[in-house]
Amino acid sequence: MKKLALFMFTLLLILSMAACSDKTAKENEHDSGGTKTIRVVYKDEGPSNPVAKTYYANLEKALKKDEKLDVKFELVEMPQGTYSEKLNLLLLSGDIPDLIYFQGGDQQMVEQQLLEDLTPYIEKSTYIKEILGTHNLERMKNYPYLLWIKPLDSKTPVIRKDWLEQTASSKELMENPTVDNYYTFFKELVAQSSEGKPKYAITTAGDIGELDYLFEMAFGINQTWLKNGTEYEYSKVSTKEKEKLAFYNKLYKEGLLDPQYLTKQWDTKEKAFYDGETAVIVGTNGKVVDIYNGKMKQVNGDNAEVSVLPPAKGEFQGYAPTDITKESRGLAISSQSKNKDTVFKILDYLASPKGQMFDRIGFEGEHYQVTDSGIELNEKYYNEWYARYWEPEEFTTEKPLKTPLLSEPAEKSRELANEFYSEDNLFLIPEELVSKWDAMENLYKEYATDIITGKQPIGNFDKFVSEWKKAGGDEVTEYANKNIK
Amino acid sequence: MREKRLWFQIKRDWVLYAMLLPALLYFSIFHVIPLIGMKLAFQDYRIIGDNVWVGLKHFNVLFSSPAFLDVLKNTIIISSMKVIFFFPVPIILSLIINEVRNGPFRKYVQSVIYLPHFLSWVVITGVWISLLSPVDGGINVIRNFFQLPSLDYMTSKDHIRWVLVISETWRSAGWDSIIYLAAIMKISPGLYEAAKMDGATSLQQMRYITIPELLSTVVTVFILNLGFFMNAGFDQVFNMINDSVISVIDILDTYVYRIGILNGQYAYATAASLFKGVIGVVLILSTHFISKKVSGKGVW
Repeated sequence: MKKLALFMFTLLLILSMAACSDKTAKENEHDSGGTKTIRVVYKDEGPSNPVAKTYYANLEKALKKDEKLDVKFELVEMPQGTYSEKLNLLLLSGDIPDLIYFQGGDQQMVEQQLLEDLTPYIEKSTYIKEILGTHNLERMKNYPYLLWIKPLDSKTPVIRKDWLEQTASSKELMENPTVDNYYTFFKELVAQSSEGKPKYAITTAGDIGELDYLFEMAFGINQTWLKNGTEYEYSKVSTKEKEKLAFYNKLYKEGLLDPQYLTKQWDTKEKAFYDGETAVIVGTNGKVVDIYNGKMKQVNGDNAEVSVLPPAKGEFQGYAPTDITKESRGLAISSQSKNKDTVFKILDYLASPKGQMFDRIGFEGEHYQVTDSGIELNEKYYNEWYARYWEPEEFTTEKPLKTPLLSEPAEKSRELANEFYSEDNLFLIPEELVSKWDAMENLYKEYATDIITGKQPIGNFDKFVSEWKKAGGDEVTEYANKNIK
Repeated sequence: MREKRLWFQIKRDWVLYAMLLPALLYFSIFHVIPLIGMKLAFQDYRIIGDNVWVGLKHFNVLFSSPAFLDVLKNTIIISSMKVIFFFPVPIILSLIINEVRNGPFRKYVQSVIYLPHFLSWVVITGVWISLLSPVDGGINVIRNFFQLPSLDYMTSKDHIRWVLVISETWRSAGWDSIIYLAAIMKISPGLYEAAKMDGATSLQQMRYITIPELLSTVVTVFILNLGFFMNAGFDQVFNMINDSVISVIDILDTYVYRIGILNGQYAYATAASLFKGVIGVVLILSTHFISKKVSGKGVW
C-alpha cells in the first residue's frame, strides 16, 4: 500500500512539475542568432489579438528599417479577468517579461527591485525627453519606474448641447460657473421633468469621486493635504469637506443627484446619459468624451452633440488636483531583462515622428488613407484605434491631417483639463499603514455616503472625524507632516 | 498479503482507477501542491532571491487590525445567516419537487429553479438592482401599491445582508436540491409501497421514510459545507457592495482581495487565508466528531 501511495505521489509530482516548467523554457528563448526577442505583456494585446499581432509585426519591420534594430516581439497571453491581478500573479511566479504594462500593483514590484529606474534612460533619450508633459516630469521625479506619456486624465462634465442651450440659466453658468449657478442650472434642468427632459441633473458611477471633479476645488479642496496654519490636515476630515458633503446632500435631497448613483456602474451611468434619464455625466477628457459624443449623436441625432461644462468656481477652480506621486498606469522595463537598452530604444522610437505616425493613427489603408491632399482618418480609426504607447499634446504628420484626431467637444475637454491643471500633494502610503488606510478610507466612504443620502445628519461629520483619527488618522497625519515637502 | 490483494484489485478495475486519475491530478495540482505555498504566511515574499522568514509578524498585524476584526464579524454573521436560512431551502425544495407527480410540470419546475445557477453574479446583481430599485423596482412598486414607502434595499445597512441571503437562495437553492433529489430517488420504493399498504398519507411517508432516509446526506452536505463557512461569497459581495454598506458586508475574502491582491500584500493576505482555512478545518472536524457521537453519522 505504501509503495503504491509513493508511486502515485511521485507520478503526480513529476506531472505537476512538468506543467510548471514553462518558465525555464521561456528564459532560454532570448537572443536567438542576431535577433533579440523582446517579451511584452500588455493589457488586451496577447497573441490571440489579430490587431496586436499585426501591430507588433509592423513595428518589427519599422524598427528594422528606421533604426536598424533586429527585434522579435513575443506577446504574453494573459488569462481572462482583472489585468492587474493576473499580471501580479504572472510576475510573482517569476515569469518576468522585458516590457511590462502596469495598471496598478507596480509599487510592490518596485519594492522587490524588479523594475528599472528609467531616469538615466530618459536623460539619454532622443525623443522621449522632448515629449514629456509637466505632469509626467513631476511623476517621474517622484517615481521613476513607470512611463505613461498621455494627456492629463482629469475628468470633465458633459451635457447634451441642445439641452444646455435650451436652459435659461446656462448662459450665466458658462460665464460664471459658481456653485450657486450650478445649483440653479441643475434645478432648471430637472424642473417639469417629462418626455425629452432629464429626471436627474447628474449621476455618477458608484461613488462621489466624479462629482468631486466638478465641485471639490470650489469648496477649497485644492489638495489632498490642506495647509491648516502650520500643519497639514487630510482634506476629507476638514470643514471644507463638511461643507461639500452638505451641498451634495442638498443635491440628493432635491432629486438633482440621481438617487441610484451608488448602484450605478460605468455602463449604466452612460446608458442613463444616452437615454436622457440624466443630463450630466463626468468622463475622462479627450478620448472618453469623444466616445460620449459619438454615441450620443448615434442615439439622439446630430443635434445631441455634447458640450463640456467648466469646473465649479469658488475658493479655487479646477477639475480636482492632479496626482503627481506617480503614474497610475504605464510601461516599465524589467530590471531582470537582458535587453533593457533595446527595450528603451523601442520606446524612444515610438516617441519619434515616425514612431508617432505608426502608433497614433493605425494601419494605412485600414484606419486611414493617404491622398495627395493629406491624411484622412476613417470610421474604423474613430471606432477602434487607440495609441498603445505615447500621446503627447503635439502630433504632426508629414502630410496634413484632413480629419481631426478628436471631435470638437473632446478637444475642448482636453483644453479645459490643461487650463485648470493643478498639482496634488498626495503621497504614497507606506506599507505598514496600508491596512489602516484601507479601513480609514472605507470609514470615510460610508460616512460621506450616509450624510449625502440623509441616513446620517451632517452634524455626525465631527463624529466621523474623531473615529477617523482613532482608526489611524493621527498616525497618517503625523507621517504627512513629516513627509510633505 | 493485503498489498497483493490491492494490486489485484487495481489490475482488475484498472479502467476505474484510470478514470480517477484526472481527478487526483486536479486535486494535487490545484489543491494539494498549493498548500506548500501557505508557508508564505510566515515569510516576506521576494521575487528575486529567497523569501525572508518573519515568524508570526503577519498574524500579529492581522489580529491587531480593527478592520480585520470587523470583516471577521461580518463573515461570521453572513455565513451564519446563510447556514440558518439558506441551507434548509434546497432540502425543502427537493421534498416538494418529489411530491410533484405531474411529469412535464415537474421538469418545468426543475428547469426554472436550476436556471439562476448558470448566471454569473454580475448578471444577478444587475437583476437584483433593478428588482429592488427604489424608483421603479418591482418590490417597491408592490410596496407602493400597499401605501408603503419605497426602500433602497441595496444601500440599506439593515437590509443588505438579507439581500445577500435571499439572492444566494434564489441562485443556488434549485441547483443544490439536485443532490437531495438524487438521495430521495435512491430510497427503496418498497418502503413507500409498504407504508401505503399500511395506510400512510403522503405527509406521513415524507415524515417517516423520506426525511429519515435523507438525513445521512443532509448531515454529510452540512459538515462539508461548514468547511466553506468562512467563504461568505466573494463574487456575490464583490458585485453587490457599495459605499453605503461596506461596514456590514465587507467580508474576509473581499478584504484579502483588496489588501492582498490590489495592494500587493501577498504574505499578509496568505496569513488571512490560512486563518480562514484553519477555521474551516476545525469546523469540519469538530462537527464530524460531534455528529458521529450524537447520531452515529458523519462524513466518514
